[in-house]
Amino acid sequence: MKKLRGYIFSRPFLGERVPQHIQNLVLREYCSRKKLQFLLSFVEYRFENSSLMLEKVLNELNRIDGIIFYSLFQMPQDDKERKVIYKKILGKKKEIHFAVEEIKMKDAESVEFVENIFLIKKTLPNCLSKF
Amino acid sequence: MFLTKEENNLSKEFFEKGYIIRPAQNINALSEIRNNLIKKITNYLKIKKNVDPNNFLNNIHKEIPVNKLNDLRVHLINEVNSISKFKNLYFQSAKKFIEILVGNELAMQKKISLSIQIPKDDSSLLPVHSDTWSGLSPFEVVVWIPLVDCYKTKAMFILPPKHSSELNNQFKKFSRKSSEDIFRKISKKIKWIDIKFGEVLIFNQHLPHGNRVNKEKETRWSMNCRFKSIFSPYADKKIGEFYEPITLRIASKMGMNYRFPKIK
Repeated sequence: MKKLRGYIFSRPFLGERVPQHIQNLVLREYCSRKKLQFLLSFVEYRFENSSLMLEKVLNELNRIDGIIFYSLFQMPQDDKERKVIYKKILGKKKEIHFAVEEIKMKDAESVEFVENIFLIKKTLPNCLSKF
Repeated sequence: MFLTKEENNLSKEFFEKGYIIRPAQNINALSEIRNNLIKKITNYLKIKKNVDPNNFLNNIHKEIPVNKLNDLRVHLINEVNSISKFKNLYFQSAKKFIEILVGNELAMQKKISLSIQIPKDDSSLLPVHSDTWSGLSPFEVVVWIPLVDCYKTKAMFILPPKHSSELNNQFKKFSRKSSEDIFRKISKKIKWIDIKFGEVLIFNQHLPHGNRVNKEKETRWSMNCRFKSIFSPYADKKIGEFYEPITLRIASKMGMNYRFPKIK
C-alpha cells in the first residue's frame, strides 16, 4: 500500500478556509477510498506565503510514496515555485494527490491540467464575480 | 452582434421557453454513453445475457428492489465517471448547442449525475428547486440527456419563464413554508418535458424544476451535467472541486502566464 504524507493548512488559501479537522477527514476518506496509507498531516505555518512545512515533506520524499494536499490551491502561489515542486516530486517518480479536487498528478499532462485550474483561480478575481 | 440566424433563433427559443430540445449532435456518442452504462449495470447485477437497451432500462424495476436503488445509482455514477472518455462523449453529444448558448471556452461539471426513477418510488425525488437556490452559478446551463424515452411523470418538469417571474415576485409569501407549498402553488403551470432517447435537453436552471413520483409503467433513466463559461462567476461550487476547464483556449493560457518585463 502506498504511503502518502498529508499536508493541510492553518490559514486561508485563495479565499477558502477549512477547519483543520475537516481537512484531515477529507484526506483520510480519500486515502481509504483509494486504498492508500495516510500518514499524519503536516500543518503549514499560519504566516503568509510560508511553505516551510511543505519543504519538510519534500525532504522526506525518499521514505514515502508521495504527498496528499487537501486542495491544489494550497500549493505556493508563485508559479515558478510550484513548477519546482512538481519537478522535485514527479522527478523522483512520487505521487501528488489533491483530495478535494480528486486529482492525482503523475505526468506532464496532469501538470498542465492542474496549472490551468490554478491559473484560472488566480485570474477569476479580475473577472466579473458578482451577480 | 455577429451571431448567425441559427444562433439567434436557438438563443431566443432558450430564453423564451427556458429550454431547447434537439437531436443529439453526435448520436454515436450518445449510444456509446448508453452502452457503457448498460455494461456497468449488467456487471453490477451479474446479468450475463445480452439485453435490449430500451427494454432493459425501462424495466429495471423488475430486476432490482427499490431499497437497493441508491447503491446502484452511486455505483454507476462512480463507474461511468471513471471512464476516461465518458465526459467527452457527453460533451460531444451537445457541443454545438452548448457553444451557442454558453460560449466556447467552457468549464464542465466534474461528475456527471444520474437519475433513476422507478415507477411509484418516492425515495429518489428531487423537490422543486432552482439550481441557483442551492449554490450553483446563474451563468450555467444544464445538459440533460434521457437514456430512455421520457414523458408525463416519467420526465422532469420545469416552470416556464413567465410563471417563474410571477413566482419570484411572490416569494415572500413562502417564508416559513416548505418547498411542497411552492410546488402546490405552481403545479398547474409547470411543463412536463416530453423527450426521446436520441435527443438532448438544455435548460435554464434558474427556472424552478424537479420531478414527482413516476406514475408511468416504465423507469426513467437520465443524466445531467452543468456547463458554464470558464471566466464567468462561480457561486458555492468552484473550479477544481466541482468544475473543470474543458476547452481553455491558447490566448487565455498565454494571457494568464503573461508578465510585464521588470525594469528594476
